Amino acid sequence: MKSGTFFKVTTVLVGMGLALCFATACSKKADQSAAIEKYGSNTLKIYLPGEYTSETLIPNFEKQFGVKVIVELFDSNEMMYAKVQAGDKYDVLIPSDYMIERLLAQKLLQPLDKSVMTNMKELDKAVLNLSFDPDNTYSMPYFWGNVGLVYNKTKVDPKVIAEQGYDILLNTDYAGQIYWYDSERDSFMVALKALGFSMNSESKDEINKAYDWLLKMNDTMKPTYVTDEVIDNMSNGLKNIAIVYSGDAAFILNENKDMDYIAPMQGTNVWYDSMVIPANAENPKLANEFINYVMSYKASYGNSEAVGYASPNARVLTEMKAPGAIYEHNRAYLPRAGFEKDEIFHDNETIRAMISELWIKVKAH
Amino acid sequence: MKMNAFRIMTYPYIAWITAMIVIPMILILFYAFTIEGNDVVSIKFSLENFTRFVTDTTFLRVVGKSLWIAFLTTIISIIMGYPIAYIISKARGNHGIILILLLTLPTWINMLVRTYAWMGILQEGGMLSKLLAFLGFPGVSLLYTDFAVTLGMVYNFLPFMILQIHTSLAKMDNSLLEAAADLGASRFQSFWRVTFPLSLPGVVSGITLVFLPAVSSFFIPKLLGGGQYVLVGNVIESQFLTAGDWNFGSAISLIMAVVIIFSMWLTRKIDVQPGKEA
Repeated sequence: MKSGTFFKVTTVLVGMGLALCFATACSKKADQSAAIEKYGSNTLKIYLPGEYTSETLIPNFEKQFGVKVIVELFDSNEMMYAKVQAGDKYDVLIPSDYMIERLLAQKLLQPLDKSVMTNMKELDKAVLNLSFDPDNTYSMPYFWGNVGLVYNKTKVDPKVIAEQGYDILLNTDYAGQIYWYDSERDSFMVALKALGFSMNSESKDEINKAYDWLLKMNDTMKPTYVTDEVIDNMSNGLKNIAIVYSGDAAFILNENKDMDYIAPMQGTNVWYDSMVIPANAENPKLANEFINYVMSYKASYGNSEAVGYASPNARVLTEMKAPGAIYEHNRAYLPRAGFEKDEIFHDNETIRAMISELWIKVKAH
Repeated sequence: MKMNAFRIMTYPYIAWITAMIVIPMILILFYAFTIEGNDVVSIKFSLENFTRFVTDTTFLRVVGKSLWIAFLTTIISIIMGYPIAYIISKARGNHGIILILLLTLPTWINMLVRTYAWMGILQEGGMLSKLLAFLGFPGVSLLYTDFAVTLGMVYNFLPFMILQIHTSLAKMDNSLLEAAADLGASRFQSFWRVTFPLSLPGVVSGITLVFLPAVSSFFIPKLLGGGQYVLVGNVIESQFLTAGDWNFGSAISLIMAVVIIFSMWLTRKIDVQPGKEA
């Protein structure tokens, strides 16, 4: 009796599986064999941060090229690095500037095929030839932005925050009203910049001073440490000041008209998330096509409109800020360019381990 | 003869355990007792990871807090779980099965999703704070408090406690209770002298199933307690993911494993006592 039931269940499951295979395979078979002939494969595996594409980006690419795209999402660059270093195979990654530096140092990336990159000429000058990849041999920009403060302009005087910059995070008038972004990198950036040091400081003395600054902040300001919850919570106006990435800030500003954004006068971190192809990619040809496709006006416009981060495509940038466009009055959308105190983050293993431990100690204090 | 045939069936299981449990454990042991050396010697055996841990008051405080939260979760789970398990085991006919189904139904949903739901309920402007405002306590935020973390832990781990206690209560021979009644025991006496001691193994395995995940949980405190709520699981996570110091992370994991094994051993020892008396 029991084995009879088991047999029936298995048969039904296998039958359902087969039916599913046929249904999906038959409808796409025709396009996909064309793709195999042209690119050597019909599947592309990409690994990127969560909530980072428009809903139409992947389906449109699949339709246009007749391929199947497998998407995997990561929470942090570090998590991505752990998997890629362990030998997991992807065709396209979208890491940040400092992580590209680290991947390059370990020879985990392969050069892009520039002959495919026809959309490169549409990119804004501000996002090309940056220090982590001086002639864009290995990477093409996806989004860029900076880190700044979102504040409720009906509760916090815009003049005060403009004058004090990061110092407002030690101003006890605002104790208990702060969302602090829970990341050791951004936290130490804020503290180092507030003290007038470089965010890439390698001096133990300066880092310890930043640690003391953060301890004082933690003890006197009673901030709430959050990550992506900050987007919803600031949109709902739950607190008055928050450390936020510019793209998330652009989204918050559009949701809540009381909120405004400022890149502090002490300087901040400008970052560039870029597309790269790992050295062990199985379908580099298709990967190059994908990267070029994403940089196109149409695809990049869709991404930037949906997610809120600044596009690398010059025409998209202009149109998003044009009169009547969704980011016309939004001060968070277009990152500040050419401000001399702004810096790109550089990865340093010793410093990373050090600030990571110090940051845990700040929070557990 | 027959046993030999069965023995072959255990081989895949042994292979699985070796690959998935024994080898990772050996790796953790290896990492914990080594540090990354210089260019000449890439690996050095050392106790540095352990001295670094025990000489730092921050880490010790974090471990203390983790053990306390896990202890609290376990105690509350027993106090709440025992009566529920008892009622379920006494339910007539199909009712018991339905109650067990209702209890396990929420666990079919991913733990992370259920914890996110609590965030929505507890946060400022959420369901609970709206209710409190209606009752005359406006502007209360329960999220990011000790209460929220304990609530989330108990909510997530309580079913494991109930199921374990229920299993040992359900398989109890009813004739024992009849015998106790025959010998003149009151209902309370027969519960306290017969049912309760016999259900203790269930309580002990319930403690194992609640205390273990509670002490190493890191996303419940992170989501419901906020980033300032640092438990030992969060420290281990950050050592592996952001600091990239696998050696120190492994050492902390090992220390926690030893602490947990010790507390389990203690629980089992306590469990044996009433059995000896009887």
